[in-house]
Amino acid sequence: MQEIAIDAEGLGVSSGDSAQYLTFILGSKVYGLEILNIKEIIEYGDVTEVPMMPDFISGVINLRGSVVPVIDLSKRFTGESTPHTKRTSIIILEVTNDDLRIEVGVTVDMVNEVLDIQANDIEPSPDLGSQIQTSFICGMAKVEGKLLILLDIKNVLSIEELSQVGGVQSMVT
Amino acid sequence: MSDDHLQVFSEEAEDLLGLAEQALLSLDDLENEADTLDCVNDLFRTFHTIKGAAGLFGLDPIVDFTHIVESVLVKIREGEFGVDEDMVSLFLLSRDHLEQLVEHALNGEESLTTELATNNQDLVTKLSIYLGESAEDVALKRADIVTGELQLTEDDDTLGVINENWHISLRFGPSVLKNGMDPVSFISYLLRIGELESVVLIDDALPSWDELDPEVCYLGFEIKFIATDADTNKETIEDVFEFVQDDCIINILPPHSHISDYISMIDSLPEEDMRIGDILVACGALTEHEKENALNTQDKFTDAVIAAGEEQRAPPLGKIAVEQQTVQQEVVDAALKKQSKLKQQRANSQQSIRVNALKLESLVNLVGELVIGSANSELNARRLDDANLNEAMENLLRLVEEVRDTALGLRMVQIGETFNRFKRVVREVSLDTGKDIDLLISGAETELDKTLIEKIGDPLMHLVRNAIDHGIEAPSDREAAGKPLKGTVKLDAFHDSGSIVIQITDDGGGLSKEKILNKALEKGLIQENQTLSDQEIYRLIFQAGFSTADAVSNISGRGVGMDVVRKNIEALRGHVELESEVGVGSTISIRLPLTLAIIDGFQVRVGGAHYIIPLEMVDECIELNEALRGEDEQANYVNLRGEILPFMHLKDMFGDKPLSENTELSDAADKHRDNIIVVRFAGKKAGFVVDELLGEHQTVIKPLGKVFQNLRGISGTTILGSGEVAMIIDIPEMVNRVVNSDKQNFVSSQSIH
Repeated sequence: MQEIAIDAEGLGVSSGDSAQYLTFILGSKVYGLEILNIKEIIEYGDVTEVPMMPDFISGVINLRGSVVPVIDLSKRFTGESTPHTKRTSIIILEVTNDDLRIEVGVTVDMVNEVLDIQANDIEPSPDLGSQIQTSFICGMAKVEGKLLILLDIKNVLSIEELSQVGGVQSMVT
Repeated sequence: MSDDHLQVFSEEAEDLLGLAEQALLSLDDLENEADTLDCVNDLFRTFHTIKGAAGLFGLDPIVDFTHIVESVLVKIREGEFGVDEDMVSLFLLSRDHLEQLVEHALNGEESLTTELATNNQDLVTKLSIYLGESAEDVALKRADIVTGELQLTEDDDTLGVINENWHISLRFGPSVLKNGMDPVSFISYLLRIGELESVVLIDDALPSWDELDPEVCYLGFEIKFIATDADTNKETIEDVFEFVQDDCIINILPPHSHISDYISMIDSLPEEDMRIGDILVACGALTEHEKENALNTQDKFTDAVIAAGEEQRAPPLGKIAVEQQTVQQEVVDAALKKQSKLKQQRANSQQSIRVNALKLESLVNLVGELVIGSANSELNARRLDDANLNEAMENLLRLVEEVRDTALGLRMVQIGETFNRFKRVVREVSLDTGKDIDLLISGAETELDKTLIEKIGDPLMHLVRNAIDHGIEAPSDREAAGKPLKGTVKLDAFHDSGSIVIQITDDGGGLSKEKILNKALEKGLIQENQTLSDQEIYRLIFQAGFSTADAVSNISGRGVGMDVVRKNIEALRGHVELESEVGVGSTISIRLPLTLAIIDGFQVRVGGAHYIIPLEMVDECIELNEALRGEDEQANYVNLRGEILPFMHLKDMFGDKPLSENTELSDAADKHRDNIIVVRFAGKKAGFVVDELLGEHQTVIKPLGKVFQNLRGISGTTILGSGEVAMIIDIPEMVNRVVNSDKQNFVSSQSIH
């Protein structure tokens, strides 16, 4: 698997009141994720489906020997899956949940770049006008006149929610 | 002392306390006096070893406490009183207390917490009752025993001396220096437990220069010692000199000792009596008057034993040693036994080594990677189709398999130790409830994974308590039912088709289905008109908040137990089941997987995905053809050699994912035929229809993360040789589904999972 960009620490820790964000495209929108949570980015592929799980859980991948769940972000946000292209990537994130560090992968259409965003460029998330659940958004950033949706990764990847919907589907007899 | 050493001490103490518990519990059953004595001796040894070790670390609370326990044991050994149940209970409590003390010491805290201190005081008071004296007297009494033989009766009127401090008289043996001991270090060590009021050097034994051997120690000391801690006893001080006590003359006299003690001490010393007397006065042990008194009394005494007079002036060292040994015979015995036991332990330790659990875990993880790696190599080797390479690969795989089994075997531990812990529980609970109960243990040598053993302890504990509290009836009820008065709880462990089964059986009243059903209705767990099988009814008691006990006792019955037990066991990929017959008893069976790390799996293909079925549970594979299925295409059971075998298409459950490009199809897949894999779990059989059988696969279990915690039917994942991830099918869950769904076709009832 080819790694496009890796290692959050290697990029240096944010200074002052600015933070670094990885931007990526999903559907027609640009999103940003704080890079401190990001472990690596890999090419999309070899996802093994896990039966009886909600649609937005694509399945699991073998990441150098450990089995990591992959979430289809587009499905999670809009209920629609975007077609996979050559640029479709999986961002491997490390999130802490109940003192337990877990790795989760999310699929995105394309990874853009890492941006320094000043704290005063970030506005609170709007109440309306967004296609996706507001709790997933931790703010909107204006970068070079364009709007960037900054994701609250804790809520997007809340284990409680992910696993709850993953309950048993009624059995076909 | 460094933490490392303390850690070793705590591990040793833990082992010893375990031994003590076993000895105590067996003490309970023994009727034979000789055996009892053996047990008491065992106990004494273990406590004594703990005391000795604790002394090395200066853990005074432990030393003091064990000393009192020991004293009581000595009394038992001397036959002053027999062992009864209360005493065993008291000793068990003492053992527990000691465990807490050790733990406390390990945390590096100096002073006891209030709780521990109260507990300590409480136990000391109780133990002292057996000693027939108050705790402070114990130390004095011991001193009396040591010097007791020369006790004089005529000076009853002269009570203790005025000296309020300890008096320590030391004559270092000639070989002390050669043995690498420095006399001064012992004296400076005393500073740790108190202050030296005065030290007088006795150099009378020093020869002239010509005769002086620089390697021989000629020195002696008379020390007036103020203990910092009022609780300091003779033992504590004796322990300071533990390393030299064999070749030195050590006399330790507690404050206000009887004058006769001083006399006997003076007698035992090689120097002139008068001179010693003066020295004692000089270092403040005795007043001038007391010295006169002592020496006069001694004169009278000496007259009576005039024959020994000459020897007493300069008694040979050996004689004194012997004399003291005869007095302290039990101490010598204990020391000898301790030595022989140490030898035995050393022999044992050569057969086993303590390994850090983390190291073992990383070894097992590595072996897991090795297995995956070799599967990958095998796949590629087969593709190359080179005979030599394939042969080498075969050999390698065989070795990997052996390495795997050995590595997993390292973690296997016999369950016996865990079972033995329950003797104590049964004893206590049966005392609490007033029921007479026997615990039968079988299958103690059954091995299972250490992690499992650790985690199964609590659920087991709960089940055993339940069996006693709810299961076994009160003696009066038992008598009325014509059963033996003594109830029986049985713990059993054995292997059964790739699982470990642990059974808890009681011969109590059994579970009343009526009662369970009523309770379940009351709690709204089931509906009025629901029809349930026996198994389903029994399974209700594993629901949250369910208890059939009419009264809540302090042992169980709060209804928080069984569902937690079930959850804990399921977290270990295990299952729990209950069988019961009213009036006869109940059996709870816990089924656990043999290991949590690597299993032999059977690989199958369903649609485009690969699945693993634990091989031990696979009974057979048969082709699903018309003859087997019969007329009915829709039927979900087949006639397997006269037996009804319910089955399901895994496709229905897991979905029919199309074949992906990189899934390789073998020839067999082209001539498509449906296969049924017949699996067996807990006596139930079920079939699963799959698209292709791919054969055995060494399966390294990779747990599914928290995201999938509510997923049923899949117990984990593994990585195939191709690097692909495959799901491991949770057979127990699936068998239950198949069997239940079969029933649901006839009775439309709500599943009670």
